[in-house]
Amino acid sequence: MSFVDLIYGKYRTVSVVGMGKNAGKTVVLNKIIEEAYDRYISLGLTSIGRDGEREDVVTKTDKPVIHVMEGTIVATAQDILLNSDARLEILEVTNYRTTLGPVVICRVKENGLVELAGPGNNEEIRGVAKKMLVYGADIVVVDGAINRKTSASPGVTEATILATGAVVSRSMDRVIEETAYQMELFGLEAVKEEKIRTFAKEVIAEGGVGIVDQGEFVRKLPLKTALNAGRIIGSGLTEDSRYIVFSGSLVKKTIDDLIAVTPHYKEVKFVVQDGTKVFIPREDWMRFKKRGVRIQTLEPLHVLAVSINPYAPQGYEFNALEFLTKMKKALRVPVIDVMLEGDDFHDELYG
Amino acid sequence: MGLEKVDLTKVKPYGDTLNDGMVQMSFTLPVSASEEAKEAARRLALKMGLEDPSVVSMKNMGPGFSFFIVYGRCGESIDYTGIEVPKVDVETMSKKEVEAFIEEKIKRDITIIGACTGSDAHTVGIDAIMNMKGYDGHYGLERYNGIEAVNMGSQVPNEELVAKAIELKADGILVSQVVTQKDVHIPNLTELIELLEAEGLREKMVVVCGGPRINHELAKELGYDAGFGTGSYAEDVASFVVDEIVKRKLI
Repeated sequence: MSFVDLIYGKYRTVSVVGMGKNAGKTVVLNKIIEEAYDRYISLGLTSIGRDGEREDVVTKTDKPVIHVMEGTIVATAQDILLNSDARLEILEVTNYRTTLGPVVICRVKENGLVELAGPGNNEEIRGVAKKMLVYGADIVVVDGAINRKTSASPGVTEATILATGAVVSRSMDRVIEETAYQMELFGLEAVKEEKIRTFAKEVIAEGGVGIVDQGEFVRKLPLKTALNAGRIIGSGLTEDSRYIVFSGSLVKKTIDDLIAVTPHYKEVKFVVQDGTKVFIPREDWMRFKKRGVRIQTLEPLHVLAVSINPYAPQGYEFNALEFLTKMKKALRVPVIDVMLEGDDFHDELYG
Repeated sequence: MGLEKVDLTKVKPYGDTLNDGMVQMSFTLPVSASEEAKEAARRLALKMGLEDPSVVSMKNMGPGFSFFIVYGRCGESIDYTGIEVPKVDVETMSKKEVEAFIEEKIKRDITIIGACTGSDAHTVGIDAIMNMKGYDGHYGLERYNGIEAVNMGSQVPNEELVAKAIELKADGILVSQVVTQKDVHIPNLTELIELLEAEGLREKMVVVCGGPRINHELAKELGYDAGFGTGSYAEDVASFVVDEIVKRKLI
């Protein structure tokens, strides 16, 4: 199983997002670099945070370095460009600004190490990914930061790889539950009815909240956001209501307030743009599901694989093989432990 | 006594004399105080690379724990001249200059919302920046002409902060967080950014974090436009925000 097999020919932009710090995002990135090199695929690389520096700014632990090959396109901040020992040709100094200076797009002229720190917001990540494709990258990989996941939104990257690991919790079962929950959110069912989709797209483009009643009567509520407005939205439901479209986020409090004021939510599907718009802790999600809350999305999110890291920087580790086996059982996508792949376990696991 | 010349390419800890490398450190071991525990502490210091470590104090911390203070010589040195820490790259203007900048370049009043988010109840940081009476002789943003400053106080949930920002059409958000030892505030800081992204607002606002363990480099990882550590005043933050509004064409 290789990451590049899962990506190449199907998707041109891929994000790597993590369940937490040290979940192994950069290890995945390095594996993709290695696989792409073997197959003469040219990559475009950037990061929404900062990657490739020797020491982590949050936990002060050692981080993997990033070794790039000739021909790779990188988008990184000016101030850390000089830390790279790869020889780089500057293609463009963009208008995207970061705390470490403007983002510069370069082509690697000679293999070596680079540090990556690209734009910090999704709008600009989209822009910089597009530019790297124009400069000749076959695949653009956007590395994540800490536990930030919105770069996985289909509006930003076409597919995603989720990195998880022991860092999430001391309990292996808990890590698996949390990961499975994240995958459930990313895999929320898409709305099928074409008319509802058209209306949902409108609401999402304009902002605010919309309701679809039986017979496909649609109406918009006079709200700019669903945040702090659960009660108002709830009071707007009737027994005929079938869908609520949320243009932005759907948070726990909105649902709590909404279901407190109306029984009609049970006949209603909550529609969000994609799984990254949902902010509900797992325990609350279980409670909501029991009470009949159903969430659908407009755009499905393509998670290609889940990578796992059995080591936690807090100083404990899981049995790698057991972790891999259990995680595979819990998920429906390929699960990969990059470190295990290289050693003796390989045959046992992958035949 | 004249000062000895320090070689900045090889800076070492200073104990009694230049370059003696003397270091004092303290830690707890999960074993009761005993001669064996003391020896364990000494060997640990040796493993850390300290030369001639000596355990100068050992105290029982209750059953099964002991606390140590260890002295030792550090052989390592640091090239001070090669260190560059990213800092907020903007020239700090005075209150008057910020006000003039807003009037001339932005040509409207701007709204800045401040809060300690999540479980954080340490308002001292945000109050120092926001409060009219200010801190240490530096007036807070509430006193600035051209800035509508809204201080939401402590333990503000991220969703309420974002809702307020939408309601008031905020130009900037300031979040104050005491990033703790176990980094529990980190997910809270990233959640705010994720919520703003989900609401489609992130690129339309200047979002800044501050606190004793926050720096400009960490801010990048977290997804913020800037990070201010201790020793920052209202005018530092205000200068950055107004400059950023103009540079990002958020006027």
